[in-house]
Amino acid sequence: MLLDNLPHTDPGDPVLTTPGRFLLWIGRRQKKLLALGVVWGVVWMVGQALIPGALGAGIQAISKDDEAKALQWAGVVLVLGVVQAGAGLVRHRYAVANWVTAGTRVQQLLIRRAAHLGADLPKQVATGEVVAASANDVERIGNALDILPRMVGAIIAFFVVAAILVAMDPTLGIIVLVGVPLLSLAVAPLVRPLERREREQRVHLGMTQELAADTVAGLRVLRGIGGEDLFLARFQAESKKVQAAAVRTAHIRALLDAMQVFLPGLFVVIVTWLGARLALQGELTVGQLVAFYGYTAFLVLPLRTVTEAAHKFTAARVASARVITVMTLERMFDEGDEAAAPAPTSSAGEITDPQTGLVVSPGKLTAIVTDDPDASEVLIDRLGRYRDSNVSLDGTPVEELPLLTVRERVLVQDKDPMILSGAAEDLFDIPRTGRVAVADALASASALDVVDALPDGLATDLPERGRSLSGGQRQRLALARSLVADPEILILDEPTSAVDAHTEARIGLALRDARAGRTTVVFTTSPLLLEHVDVVAFLKDGRIQATGQHRQLLRENPDYRWTVTRGEDA
Amino acid sequence: MKPPESLAQTEKSTEGKLPVSSPESVRRYVVTLLRRNRGLFIALVGLNSVAAAASIVGPWVLGGLVEKIEGGSADYAYVNEAALIFLCALLVQTAFTRWARIRGAVLGESILADLREDFLTRVVALPPGVVERAGTGDLVTRTTTDVDRLSWAVRLAVPEIAIALVTATLVFAALVFTAPILAVSWLFAVPIIAVVTRWYFKRAPYAYRHEMSSYAAVNAGIAETVDAGRTVEAYRLGDARVRRTDSAIKRWIGWERYTLYLRTIFFPSIEISYVLPLAAVLGLGGWLYIDGQVSLAQVTAAVLYTQMLIEPVDIILMWYDELQVGQASMARLIGVHDVPDPVTDGSQEPQSADLHANDVRYGYREGRDVLHGVSMDIEPGDRVAIVGPSGAGKSTLGRLLAGLHAPRTGTIDMGGVALASLPTEKVRRHVALVTQEHHVFIGTLRDNLLLARPDASDTQLWEALGSVDAAEWTQALPQGLLTEVGTGRHKLTPAQAQQLALARLVLADPHTLVLDEATSLLDPRAARHLEQSLAAVLEGRTVIAIAHRLMTAHDAKRVVVVEDGKITESGSHDELVSAGGAYAALWRSWRDED
Repeated sequence: MLLDNLPHTDPGDPVLTTPGRFLLWIGRRQKKLLALGVVWGVVWMVGQALIPGALGAGIQAISKDDEAKALQWAGVVLVLGVVQAGAGLVRHRYAVANWVTAGTRVQQLLIRRAAHLGADLPKQVATGEVVAASANDVERIGNALDILPRMVGAIIAFFVVAAILVAMDPTLGIIVLVGVPLLSLAVAPLVRPLERREREQRVHLGMTQELAADTVAGLRVLRGIGGEDLFLARFQAESKKVQAAAVRTAHIRALLDAMQVFLPGLFVVIVTWLGARLALQGELTVGQLVAFYGYTAFLVLPLRTVTEAAHKFTAARVASARVITVMTLERMFDEGDEAAAPAPTSSAGEITDPQTGLVVSPGKLTAIVTDDPDASEVLIDRLGRYRDSNVSLDGTPVEELPLLTVRERVLVQDKDPMILSGAAEDLFDIPRTGRVAVADALASASALDVVDALPDGLATDLPERGRSLSGGQRQRLALARSLVADPEILILDEPTSAVDAHTEARIGLALRDARAGRTTVVFTTSPLLLEHVDVVAFLKDGRIQATGQHRQLLRENPDYRWTVTRGEDA
Repeated sequence: MKPPESLAQTEKSTEGKLPVSSPESVRRYVVTLLRRNRGLFIALVGLNSVAAAASIVGPWVLGGLVEKIEGGSADYAYVNEAALIFLCALLVQTAFTRWARIRGAVLGESILADLREDFLTRVVALPPGVVERAGTGDLVTRTTTDVDRLSWAVRLAVPEIAIALVTATLVFAALVFTAPILAVSWLFAVPIIAVVTRWYFKRAPYAYRHEMSSYAAVNAGIAETVDAGRTVEAYRLGDARVRRTDSAIKRWIGWERYTLYLRTIFFPSIEISYVLPLAAVLGLGGWLYIDGQVSLAQVTAAVLYTQMLIEPVDIILMWYDELQVGQASMARLIGVHDVPDPVTDGSQEPQSADLHANDVRYGYREGRDVLHGVSMDIEPGDRVAIVGPSGAGKSTLGRLLAGLHAPRTGTIDMGGVALASLPTEKVRRHVALVTQEHHVFIGTLRDNLLLARPDASDTQLWEALGSVDAAEWTQALPQGLLTEVGTGRHKLTPAQAQQLALARLVLADPHTLVLDEATSLLDPRAARHLEQSLAAVLEGRTVIAIAHRLMTAHDAKRVVVVEDGKITESGSHDELVSAGGAYAALWRSWRDED
């Protein structure tokens, strides 16, 4: 059955040189579907094309008082109609299959690219851009593949009708054969300005959508503080611009539509006029006159189909260009080759950073204290290799390690870790060593009560960004997730900043046991955590100024004391 | 073939989300829209009628020609005259088509503008509690995808159907006028069309709605992957995200297949029903002509009219399909109008800044209260810290004190007026909930500040920025207050965004602030001036701080300990420390005095 083999097991490796080539590549992946679509498109269109001839023959029979023949031709009309109906359906089914097959492929390509780019993607494009690519552009590319077979059918039907007309009357036939393509050319000068105005309209539309989406995203702020009217007025102004631009576009489109009535209509008038004169001379029967009229009127359909196809191909090219933009984004730095990488000499988990002078002993719980958020952000990104870094792991510079190896060995938990939508238990469906059970991790992160509070426990569906949870609840679930992953080196950025003091104290106690024998680095200034770490490194002015026990530093280092107690010297 | 999922299964996932309108309310809304634009609509019908009437002339001319030529009574002059009439009709049709299309676009665009503006107008007035629960994701989809789909329906489907309706009516009238007896042939088609259409449209709306929502889920999954890029990379979730999208695609394809099945029944039945009258007119016409009951002109014209009638009827049925899609989007767009507004009374005004909670009980779900009888009094200028373990109900209490939710039983009064009875716009003049969320809107920095006080002068804006220590970096920006910020524009650092949020509070100037997770708002390692910025904002206001950090509690005049939805301790820091309860134990461990 159609659509049975979707989604694709592998969407393939697309050609991304030009939008046209990309579309061609997609078309090639579904050659068979397109070919079948073409076959049925032709049968359908030609079936339709032959009906005027049968009607003309019927009228001719009637005019000659030939009842039996008239009934016979009525039967032919019926058969042609049924054939056309059947073929029309099959054609439609292939059109849908073509649309969906292409659309699915693009969706799958996009998600694979997004998954590959990971942290680099949000840095390079706005989410909206990818959403636009996955929603609107996929539709436009699908539309192009949907109309392609229909267009081929239209072109072939055109030639079949032309041949019939030439056979009936060469002069009239040639007039039709030459005239119709000329007519389709006649509207061409309108297409370019139409496209330009459509582009303008889309720019305004994009702006309106962006404003609307932005307003909605900040709705809590607006409802809490105010300013709804301000933003509404701004949106309304932009919406009016879309309206004006759309009406401007409509002026050209209306002209185009009118021309599509006038030009073929003019043709029907001319053919009827010439045909009637020929009939007067006895060179054409009245049945043939009716057929000529019908054929000429029918030719409007293939003409329209081709125009429509031209539109859709243009839209698909624009859409492809946008998809290509996303698809050609690259990782910010070289990923390295896993196979060619030096075998790890040891994997104890020692970190050395010549830039700050930081040394993290393997298997220990180390805290880094600093009062400069920018400095800690940079250091975290360097430790996790989210930016250029001369940090070494067990003596090997991270820059020489393949990126995947670094990700596998070093896990960075951000300050505001993202909880993805889906069942709560899916949070723990991540690459993990299997040494840490989910229940144990939840207990260590003091997150058991978070799960208890969920209506269906771990099976509860969480909304995007875990919005139904408080910041503290999110932090504790995220910590449990990191513990389950059980990486060789775990870097935690303010893991308990939104957790209340009672719970923070509990987490501080449990963290060292949970990570026993593994290297853990926690960025924090909270005494409740610092109490329980093996060693504290104090980062100031870009260098590690002091290293030691929390209490020892508290006594000996005034700068440290000031940072940890936030200036409230005891 | 059955739908891929049963109703019960799929409806479950929509629970707790924003409502989708019923077909009836959609219809009512459309009628209202049309009524609002009645003049334009009537003009449109008139223009299209003239265009359609002109299109009827062709077959009539040809019928005459066939009759006269066959009867031998035609000459060149007659043929020329007929062609001229045909040409004139065509010119009229062309001119009126263009005119009608322009008017149609004007009407369509005005309706679309109304729709999206109505939608956003409603969205920005949603009760804050509803926004809090539904999240913004669904709303964003409605603002983008649904508006897009509806635009398509209104730009194309509605005018096509309107024109087709007018044309079909006039062509059929012409058929009846030409040869009433031949018009009877359509009786073959009508029952088939009626039965099949009924069957189809009984299933289609439901199926298309699910096809669309399952398609939206595919896109939402991709968007989330982009948004959470860093998390996806850190936890090596790439493969899992790919699998998730693939299975979302599979679900969507299931619905695609079902709707395709519906059309597989529908389309051919309809097409065959078109060809029946055509064959019938030809057969019946032939017989009646030979019998001498109709003229050749009548038969010819009737055949051509019957054929002409197929197109508009087809357009109506096919675009009806698109109209369904549009209708589904519309149901989601106007669904936001179905969100009930809490009953409020704008005439009351709090007489003072006193805040009293009396035996407050509240829960998000029936039968599961989070707060079990909380009472507290807050005087103007108070500094209250609410502490307690996670899940004790601190944040919930904060939201109630900020007027976001109404207590289930008990009362929360401000200056003698129940907070919940005041409209949101009034509540926030008195009290603001400050959370860790700090959205920077697309627009100038000025716009971002003005939202808090739309009539503020630039001097006031600079004062507000100055009071939170943000004037310096604002001045350093390329265009100062007029710098474009927000997604895709000049990016503010988190600290700057936080100061912006604080400056908004200074401008909004509520006398009471409820700080929830205020320490998350202020990065614990943040430069000290951020804390000074906050101190400047708190100056002279009543502050209720939900404290995750004991330092905040230490600074407060009064500390309230909440455990299991009840207040268990209350007093000054020193009192509580000397009382030796839960708070004292915690304080000691924090201060390292054991």
